[in-house]
Amino acid sequence: MNETYYFIEYFKQSPPIIQVAWIFSAVFSVFIIPLIIYLNYLRWHLRKNEIVVAKYQAEYEQALVHYLYSGNEEEEISSEQQLIIDKLKKCILTPFKRKIVISTLLKLKNEISGEVAQSIEKLYCQSGLIDYTLPKLTSKKWYTLAKGIRELRQFQVKEAHDQVAKHINHPRRQVRKEMQLYMVNLFYFEGLDFLNVLKTPLSEWDQIQLLEVLQRFDNQKIPNITSWLNSSNDSVVVFVLKLAKIYNQFEQKEVLIDMLNHKNKDIVVEVISVLCHLEVFEAKEVLKNTFEQRTQEEQIAIFKLMENLYEINDEPFLLDYIYHENFEIKVSALKILKSINSYKFNFLKSSSSESEFLQIAHFIENN
Amino acid sequence: MSDAKKIVLAEDNSILLLLLKFQLEKEGYKLLIAVNGKEAVDLIEAHNPDLILTDIMMPFISGLEVISHVRNKLNLKTPIIVFSSAGQEEMVLKAFDLGATDFMSKPLSPNELVIRIKKLFR
Repeated sequence: MNETYYFIEYFKQSPPIIQVAWIFSAVFSVFIIPLIIYLNYLRWHLRKNEIVVAKYQAEYEQALVHYLYSGNEEEEISSEQQLIIDKLKKCILTPFKRKIVISTLLKLKNEISGEVAQSIEKLYCQSGLIDYTLPKLTSKKWYTLAKGIRELRQFQVKEAHDQVAKHINHPRRQVRKEMQLYMVNLFYFEGLDFLNVLKTPLSEWDQIQLLEVLQRFDNQKIPNITSWLNSSNDSVVVFVLKLAKIYNQFEQKEVLIDMLNHKNKDIVVEVISVLCHLEVFEAKEVLKNTFEQRTQEEQIAIFKLMENLYEINDEPFLLDYIYHENFEIKVSALKILKSINSYKFNFLKSSSSESEFLQIAHFIENN
Repeated sequence: MSDAKKIVLAEDNSILLLLLKFQLEKEGYKLLIAVNGKEAVDLIEAHNPDLILTDIMMPFISGLEVISHVRNKLNLKTPIIVFSSAGQEEMVLKAFDLGATDFMSKPLSPNELVIRIKKLFR
């Protein structure tokens, strides 16, 4: 009692700053001590959980390897394999163990190809794991849906095509991305059919991912892309233009030339770039005739195309632009002129007194 | 069994390690397994294996450091097969510069690995 009384007296007689410090210390103690206890409990719980997960994982890894090597050629499923399947069926009844089984299968599936990978895909269906995934495709939660589609892709479940295809225009980008990857990974170029009905934009990242997947396949036979080039979804057109470039779709040259009048000017610039890559000389004449009506970005793209597809009869056209106000057009025109007619180029250089013109001419000569 | 070829297998993916061990033991090889580069180096120094299989990315010591140690410190000519993942092309080139014998990219086929090993021992 005396100590308490002494402390209260000491507190009352202390300067205000000391009193504030004591109050803060008391408040912090009230918060920090339970927090430390909680964090310790959390750490203990997580470690315990890790140990349990590691134990089950080791058990399932053994079971999986045993399954993979206990098959025989006479039976589709050997008796030993059936025992493992039955054991897994029991394990996956609880979501905690199911998650560990799936992660174990994926841990090996991602590192292995060939027959072993196919056996893992078979086990995914035989163990009934697929029956827990398919209902996810009707979930209202977007993340459950996206996870479901991803799992079906990872285990190559082609049978879910129609159910997955329903989500082509899902409002969530993540779901759409998973749907697109499912289609392309499992059905290759045929999987691109979703482009026919895609109303939402295909982001640059989505396009990169799809192209990366497509280039991995041995069969590089691309379907007819004409309808996609005429799509009302501009992002689809941009993506298909990339396909046209990568897969050298020279047979699309008429469609591409028609697209030079596309209402989206960014697409026109892309089309010019594809035509340049495919070396479509007919496009050059069309572009030269409509040069003045085009935007500056398009004009620069036209000169880039001409750098690749120049001919001697382009000289009169080029001479009109060697003093153009745009630097890139001017450099491009002079560069092509030097290649077509070096005599004319040297004449222009010696007769010019403009310092900028001379600088450009020197730059072209030295590069 | 005393004539069985000794293979050091260094891989940090426990289930892949288990699977390859199972497959290669079935083929009659004696497997010494390591879950990281450090264990691999210890096993190589202690057992002088006939072949080394190593992943590139591993904890503590990478596959590249394992190759460098074998070739430059231990001066061994033991064949080394490297496992690489997609996007590790530059690492594979470095592995060859350091003295790797062959490489296999993941996802890898265990059957193909067996064929390559048999070819190396021929």
